[in-house]
Amino acid sequence: MNNKKITILGIETSCDETAASILEVVNDKLKIVSNVVSSQVKIHAQYGGIVPEVAARHHAENIISVLEVALKELGIRNWELEIKKNIDAIAVTSGPGLITSLLIGVEAAKTLAFLTNKPLIPANHLIGHIYANWLLPIGISTKSKIQNLKQFFPAVCLVVSGGHTELVLMRNFENFKKIGQTLDDAAGECFDKVAKILGLGYPGGPSVAYEATKIKNNPPVGGEKIKNIGLPRPMINSKDFNFSFSGLKTAVLYKVQNLGFKIKNLKPQFCAEFQQAVIDVLINKTINAAKRFKVKSIILGGGVVANQELRKQTEEMVREKAPKTQLLIPELKYTTDNAAMIAVAGYFKLMKTPRSAWLKKFDWQRIKVDPNLEI
Amino acid sequence: MEKIISKSEKETQDIGFKLAKDLKGGEIIALTGNLGSGKTIFTKGLARGLRVKKIITSPTFVLMKVYKIEGSKIENFVHVDAYRLKTERNLKEIGLFDWLGKENSVVVIEWAEKVKKILPKTVIEIKIKLGKEETERYFFIK
Repeated sequence: MNNKKITILGIETSCDETAASILEVVNDKLKIVSNVVSSQVKIHAQYGGIVPEVAARHHAENIISVLEVALKELGIRNWELEIKKNIDAIAVTSGPGLITSLLIGVEAAKTLAFLTNKPLIPANHLIGHIYANWLLPIGISTKSKIQNLKQFFPAVCLVVSGGHTELVLMRNFENFKKIGQTLDDAAGECFDKVAKILGLGYPGGPSVAYEATKIKNNPPVGGEKIKNIGLPRPMINSKDFNFSFSGLKTAVLYKVQNLGFKIKNLKPQFCAEFQQAVIDVLINKTINAAKRFKVKSIILGGGVVANQELRKQTEEMVREKAPKTQLLIPELKYTTDNAAMIAVAGYFKLMKTPRSAWLKKFDWQRIKVDPNLEI
Repeated sequence: MEKIISKSEKETQDIGFKLAKDLKGGEIIALTGNLGSGKTIFTKGLARGLRVKKIITSPTFVLMKVYKIEGSKIENFVHVDAYRLKTERNLKEIGLFDWLGKENSVVVIEWAEKVKKILPKTVIEIKIKLGKEETERYFFIK
């Protein structure tokens, strides 16, 4: 049945990016036809963080034009008639995320599904971030049939973003089990808070990483603490696969308060040491989990994976400590929120169901938003 | 006003744990205290005292997390973080009023000073202040 072309429209509005994408699957090979993301990050930067009501209003304003641009790639102009003809299913992020943001995407998707009588598939945003590893640039098909790619599994996935830090054991494309998580703050949230303590801009990830590059002549070495700062690596040696970043943020706060005005010249050092502390913990725990579960690959996903040092050092450490393990890191543009990964999540769900049952199983009336949805 | 001294993270959790035993449902707990003062640690103890099984994580990103409690008169534990909010209206938009003051729910609000206008007078106010030692905290409960 996979010989036939399957076309899926993905929609994502879980946080502050309004996104739509078209995925075409021919003979089980994935091809992204369009991938449109309208980011509100500059709008929220002036508030120092995402303001839910502002995010929702912008999603509502943007969703139609984002869909228009994404659908145009298929030549679709008359939505009702042409979606009916050219699209097989719609996939939408149903959680986790900000409820006010999620609702806009889900309501838009429901309206389209109702209008065109198409199946509507709810997708888990976090699982989408994992699938982002199989996304190629627009217009390029994956070489192999995706469901035949058994060589990656089992895998350990590190999903790390502003809202989550989790380790997930993936046995195949549909089987996910959480094996560890942060006990308090997410890694990305910690970047935001430390950026705020140091008076750097929002979002904290890029601003801390940029500040850290200013000490290029004296770069930090993985695992080694920078002189005079010496931040903790919370839970790095704990036997479980959980994380804790709240204490790291507090440690930064105390050191900054003790330094007083002297902090001004030390910001790059602070940022480098803080970033290194987060990276050390993330990599160490991930490699430990990979060894414990004897996996074939390590998979990264989520917004924090845009961090260049994390990407580079993970490659180095996996090569050194787990040389037989494959490492998958998404292309930079697919680390942050997008709808292509949501369309892929929709595809895998669709494949588990015979075509004749799609409409019944993926009835748009049954979709519920869940801001705290888990893996 | 009651003053309690905590000397460690564990004692901070215990203060929350003990307070949970006095709760009957419908309470709103307003937490104030600086970054790193232990609001989330306190909340973890409180949740444990209410028999919440899941791990309590920071709600900063989604603003509100709701934990179901099985086999208890208090069925929902609601954890709110007002840190990023601009106005009280934001709390209405995320659906806080579905839970606020409901007999089967207990609501904890971190950074409550940002939304005090909408909180009823019956709210339990807890202020956490940093002590002399690095791990020492003073709790003021009203």
